[in-house]
Amino acid sequence: MEKQKLSVLVLAVVFGGMALFPPFLLSQYWLHVMIISLFYVMMASSWNLIAGYTGQVSFAHAAFAGIGAYASGILSVFFGLSPWLGIPIGSAVSALLGLAVGYLCIRMGGIYLSLTTLGFSEILRIIITNEDNWTRGTMGLQVPGLFAEYSKTSYYYLFLVVAILVLILLYRLIHSDLGLSFRAVLNDETAASSSGINTVRIRIIAFTISSAIAGLAGGLYGHYVMLISPDVPSLGQMFLVLAMAVIGGMGSFAGPIIGAFLLEILSEYIRIYGEYHVLFYGLVALTITRFAPDGLMAVAGKFSGKKRVGVETL
Amino acid sequence: MSEFLLYLINGIVIGVINAISAIGVSLIVGIMKVVNFAHGELFIFAGYFSYHLSQSLGLPPLVAMFVAVGLTFLVGLLMEWTLIRPTYGDDMRSLIITFILSIVLQNAALLIFGPYPLKPPALIGGATNLFGLFYYGNQRLISFFISLAVLFLIFYLLKRTWFGKAIRAISQDRQMASMIGIDHWKMNTFSFGLGAALAGVAGVIVAPIFPVTPSGSAAISLTAFVIVVLGGMGSLKGCIIGGLLLGLIENLGAAYISTMYRNIFAFIILILVLVIRPWGLFGQKA
Repeated sequence: MEKQKLSVLVLAVVFGGMALFPPFLLSQYWLHVMIISLFYVMMASSWNLIAGYTGQVSFAHAAFAGIGAYASGILSVFFGLSPWLGIPIGSAVSALLGLAVGYLCIRMGGIYLSLTTLGFSEILRIIITNEDNWTRGTMGLQVPGLFAEYSKTSYYYLFLVVAILVLILLYRLIHSDLGLSFRAVLNDETAASSSGINTVRIRIIAFTISSAIAGLAGGLYGHYVMLISPDVPSLGQMFLVLAMAVIGGMGSFAGPIIGAFLLEILSEYIRIYGEYHVLFYGLVALTITRFAPDGLMAVAGKFSGKKRVGVETL
Repeated sequence: MSEFLLYLINGIVIGVINAISAIGVSLIVGIMKVVNFAHGELFIFAGYFSYHLSQSLGLPPLVAMFVAVGLTFLVGLLMEWTLIRPTYGDDMRSLIITFILSIVLQNAALLIFGPYPLKPPALIGGATNLFGLFYYGNQRLISFFISLAVLFLIFYLLKRTWFGKAIRAISQDRQMASMIGIDHWKMNTFSFGLGAALAGVAGVIVAPIFPVTPSGSAAISLTAFVIVVLGGMGSLKGCIIGGLLLGLIENLGAAYISTMYRNIFAFIILILVLVIRPWGLFGQKA
């Protein structure tokens, strides 16, 4: 419990520091890197809610972000709807689709969810590339921004506020009665269900919430970069989110946040090597999953002589 | 009519190859409860191996095919030994590991073999007139017969040999199997290699017909997964019937409905199975 308070404190200091830090001190380039990092913080943390806390692997998290982005983008381009309304609607669409996929698969067990979400991502890619009347295909859909006057500083604060709200929501969820059920389901499914927890319902709820957050993050991302392409819902993007959570530490609250900043910032330095950086992250993620399945958070814990970081702590 | 028959035959030829690829997935799921997300990558790697063994090293195409399958088998053994073995009992970790591996192999393929489609040489040229209605490529016909022979071999191996019995014993009750003297560690490694080799067999058979590209692997994995779910997890018969059904539906659907949405038919079937009969055609209802 002490450790949990410590990590919350550390996170509060980090995000508080980011809030107080005057963004005009950063170059436009690094401001952009911070905004994208915050997008990945939301993505990796919400993916961690299902994978790390209820033990189901979804490969559709990037797909749900894409749905949020395209839903809001199409509403604003073709129907003139304000993105401020479009983004919540996009998030709701993601939640509904998440609910449908979750309802169909989760009762059959984790393997089915992973297979179906992989299929879902692939199909979404095909539909987006082919329905170019609505999505502009691989050229990408140009969408309006969120602010009348484009300013990276405004986006920075918006992403920061939303990311903090999402993290507070996730934290309270994990430490609520519902979160207790999540962990009970992860630790011992049979015991959880025999003590009256509806394991399937719990997992579907977690999956729906996490899809809604992905949709929200995707919508914000789309109206920030103002060009939504099939790269947003791609499996490559999905891999990046997964790698962030895995490298940082799945099932720990701070792990995916650290992973998101680490990989996004590191990407800026190794991007010059082109496509090699995906291969590099893949090999790192593979090594970590093989030798330190609880990620860097656990490795750090080991070196400081503390107990293994598990689901129950941090 | 002759057009319909052509699509039908195409569907059956692809269906039989699909079945081999799906058995590769099903075998591993049945014994180890591990879904190999890198299945499609093993498939395309076999295609590339066979291309380079015959084009760059000058081996006869048939020999190149055999060597390529052997190499995929070795890759499978190595995968199980280094990455999968520590994850037994932790389904989630093995899913994550094989998914990451699929991304690594995809990018490695892009780097090593380049982004362009590659096609190993055909075993045979020309075409044969079928039923006096149309000419059908000899390469496709020979692929069909090779696939049938492979299916027969798999059935023989799994139903008639000691190895097959041991495998079935392990998938039913691992503890009991080890008590009667089956080394289940060795069996795991060997079965994983076999599953990988079957991806390779499908790969070397398909590659001379449809060239391999690094980006094609996701669709290949997906097709195999849909067949496994459709046929019922762990069912051999299910893989064959499911493979044929999917081959027919995809080919007829592509011909009469839309080519662009070929892979969508598979996904629709997956959803229908999950709604109507989630345990699949020949699977056991939990």
